[in-house]
Amino acid sequence: MESTKEIELQKTANKLTDDIQSMTNYKNLYNEIQRLVASRAVRKEDFKNTLVDALKSNGLETELRNTVFHWARTQGPLQREPEPLMPMLEADLSYLKRAQIQWERRIQKSLNSMCNELNVPLARIRFNMDKDELAEKWDELSTYDIDLSQYRPLYAPKDFLEVLFMVRDPSFKKQPGEPNWEFSHIQIRVKTLSQLRAMYPELSHGVPLLGVNPHMTAMGNYLNLEAERTALGERVLASNHAPIAQEFLKRGAPRAIRGKLWSLVLGSIVKDNDEEYYEELKSLVLQYDIMVDKLIIKDVQLTASNDDQYFVFEDVLYKTMLCFSRDSEVLAPVTTDRSAGGQVIHAVLQGKPATLENTLVFPPSGVIPFHGFTMYATPFCYLYDNPCTMYYTFRAFYLRYWFRLHTVSSHEQGIVALCLLFERLLQCHEPQLWAHFRNIHIQPIKVVFKWLMRGFSGHLPPEQLLYLWDLILGYDSLEIVALLAVTILSFRKENLMQVNTLHNIEAVLADLSSLKVMPLLQLVLLKE
Amino acid sequence: MANSVADNKRAVTNNLSTIYGRVPTIGTDKMRVTFCTDMDKSVIVYNFEKRGWTQVGPEDDWNFYWAVTQSCRTIFSVETGYRMSDNQTINHFPNHYELTRKDLLVKNIKRYRKDLEREGSLLAERGDGPGKYLHLDFIPVTFVLPADYNMFVEEYRKSPQSTWIMKPCGKSQGAGIFLINKLSKLKRWSREARNPFNPNLTKESYVISRYIDNPLLIGGKKFDLRLYVLITSFRPLKAYLFKLGFCRFCTVKYDTSIQELDNMYVHLTNVSVQKHGDEYNSLHGGKMSVQNLRLYLESTRGKSVTEKLFANISWCIVHSLKAVAPVMANDRHCFECYGYDIIIDNKLKPWLIEVNASPSLTSTTVNDRILKYKLIDNIISVVVPPDGVPDVRWNKCPSPEAMGNFELLLDEELAAQDERDNPTGKFRNQSNKWK
Repeated sequence: MESTKEIELQKTANKLTDDIQSMTNYKNLYNEIQRLVASRAVRKEDFKNTLVDALKSNGLETELRNTVFHWARTQGPLQREPEPLMPMLEADLSYLKRAQIQWERRIQKSLNSMCNELNVPLARIRFNMDKDELAEKWDELSTYDIDLSQYRPLYAPKDFLEVLFMVRDPSFKKQPGEPNWEFSHIQIRVKTLSQLRAMYPELSHGVPLLGVNPHMTAMGNYLNLEAERTALGERVLASNHAPIAQEFLKRGAPRAIRGKLWSLVLGSIVKDNDEEYYEELKSLVLQYDIMVDKLIIKDVQLTASNDDQYFVFEDVLYKTMLCFSRDSEVLAPVTTDRSAGGQVIHAVLQGKPATLENTLVFPPSGVIPFHGFTMYATPFCYLYDNPCTMYYTFRAFYLRYWFRLHTVSSHEQGIVALCLLFERLLQCHEPQLWAHFRNIHIQPIKVVFKWLMRGFSGHLPPEQLLYLWDLILGYDSLEIVALLAVTILSFRKENLMQVNTLHNIEAVLADLSSLKVMPLLQLVLLKE
Repeated sequence: MANSVADNKRAVTNNLSTIYGRVPTIGTDKMRVTFCTDMDKSVIVYNFEKRGWTQVGPEDDWNFYWAVTQSCRTIFSVETGYRMSDNQTINHFPNHYELTRKDLLVKNIKRYRKDLEREGSLLAERGDGPGKYLHLDFIPVTFVLPADYNMFVEEYRKSPQSTWIMKPCGKSQGAGIFLINKLSKLKRWSREARNPFNPNLTKESYVISRYIDNPLLIGGKKFDLRLYVLITSFRPLKAYLFKLGFCRFCTVKYDTSIQELDNMYVHLTNVSVQKHGDEYNSLHGGKMSVQNLRLYLESTRGKSVTEKLFANISWCIVHSLKAVAPVMANDRHCFECYGYDIIIDNKLKPWLIEVNASPSLTSTTVNDRILKYKLIDNIISVVVPPDGVPDVRWNKCPSPEAMGNFELLLDEELAAQDERDNPTGKFRNQSNKWK
């Protein structure tokens, strides 16, 4: 028994050593350690102990720990599954994977047909004139004037929802009289409200949170809760420990240090080699003219540019999204994830022979944007002035959470699971509303789907949205998004009960500007 | 039954008012409130009607008149001889132009500084260089033309590199504004202005101010703040700041190059200017809320510098008001909501650019309409006593609930009271923050 454990441990350690060597900051770390070893702090006669001490005293130990923390996060599931009381047979969910593969193929097909229709290639070397213009206007891409009137987003949240509605468990037999739009037949385990209460103890135990009342009295000698949290947060930052920063976020971040905390938790603190890489991405944008560029620019125009909360950041968003499309470091995590369909398009550069060197993965990131894709990045504009810093935190957030919101998968954090969680919670805890929706033949998921799919970006005012995302990071889970959606319906129940058309329901839910995220979530998790 | 009694009362008041030209004071509990407006703005009418008030004409007896400045002037003019009753209120002070005309504002602030200096006030501490103040330099160096032309030239010669902005004193919404960076350009303008074919221009006076050429930029674009400040009394000063102000962005990237000096889409933030630009977006109208500006600044620059900026903004509003308070006709029937235009420079210092007596109530976007609706609603609830009927005998101390989105900037009366109650100053509350 002991020995198997040891073997397992050895295996993990080996994998860790291998993987760390291929991580981007390995070189930096290695150089630093070499420098340390050569310094006087490390003595040959007592090598191990003096090295460990030196690592501790100059902060490299923390760096190493953070590296392992980030590595571990990329390996395991977002959260460990609670052991089921009754070991039930794992349901066969491979049909979800098939649905995803089909969905990916469908997107690729419409991409190709749009290219044919508009008579543009998927990819080509950018013409010199275009390249010069783009380079010149890089910081001001809102003035990069191209005709996009013929371009349309490939799909919108409602199209994706249609896809989800079509997903059917082949072994499931519909009971007579049962509506055929529920997700309930999909056998993904989702939490109950009491399980959520256990998962979010800070919220369910009524611990003082930021975002409830900033003037709330504090512990110790602080003027108020915000001052207390800021002082504590500064110490967390000084410690430089990513897991502590994650823990800290559970009670909401003070504005002034949120950006730094997020970067620490996500391991997206920019180092020299990151800046070089970001510049490389830019040069790839300038070098290649790919069809997705137009879709990206169109999407920024359709979303952020028209939004009074984000229009001022239009130019940095163009840059961010264009660089993202060229980022091949995104490709592997999103295509090899167990929830991905793994369909990748290869595009041959127009006018070149179809050889390996003229072929590129299309787009290099493997992510094909849809209507509202930009909204995954917009809130970061409030946190970071530097486009490069913003880029890496956005990217890390996307890779950890957002890509699961536009793929069909059985992942507990995926959009299907969130829809199911939303449905179950609504049905169990707001039966009256549930019945009302059923009576008027409207699927409740229909009115909240865009919130879920965008993680509420663009729907909540930035300040409230950032609190919500604090919780996502702090508890490392998207379940809070589904919970918030239920809570909002519950909060507006009286008004919802009085209307019976989709249009009017949407009107009741259109303006979320007065909502306060933290008190709402606390309220719903607190009561029992 | 009840209705007919009210109607009878109404008939009586009508009769009396036709006789005496004013509304008699009657039992307020039964009084029907009437309003009058000569502005065709739905936000105004809607807000009054929501309160169950009845619209009447300016000749009828009104309790609440939302007037354009011209009608207000007529009412207060000696020739008209209109006497207002205790139950009437109107939305302008008779000589608001002391604050809202560009040349008079400058004159009053200069006088205020001299007065403080004479008193030996610490506020009037001098900064480096002649004419510079350490704490009271919240407006850019400004001269009135043609009157102060020689003084301007003297100042200009000190730093011939700088850019100046010319604004006609009596115009608004960015009309007639231009930038100059050479004295010759000003001379040429003045020659042309004296052109006999264009006699109107000669009469007009201008202010010329040092142009704030290092504005804080967000997303590379210049913006200014439009803040709403409500005054219910000048002596004692009672001032409230509306929390839902907004930033107005230029549609074109900021650029100080000479080629762009005449491009007003780069330099002027006025919506009335920007909306004619090709890049104008009618969904957001180039407006971002002050709350979001604050979120952005706190997140990217830190909390203490952001708090200092907003404290300095309040400071400059309060002192601009104190500067005009002695010359204002402090009619108890009046209140006024001013539109403050403030530019923040890249060192996070706020500059008061100008004050408007009739800030636009036109809504360019959906959010704008909501904001202006709330503004009018909150103004009415601050200026009208708790029983809902205008009354000059009320002490003008609204409850916290009545203030809505307004926050108290300064109430000299309450501050004085505080001082009496707590002479040690230990437990001072909000109301004397700026004393």
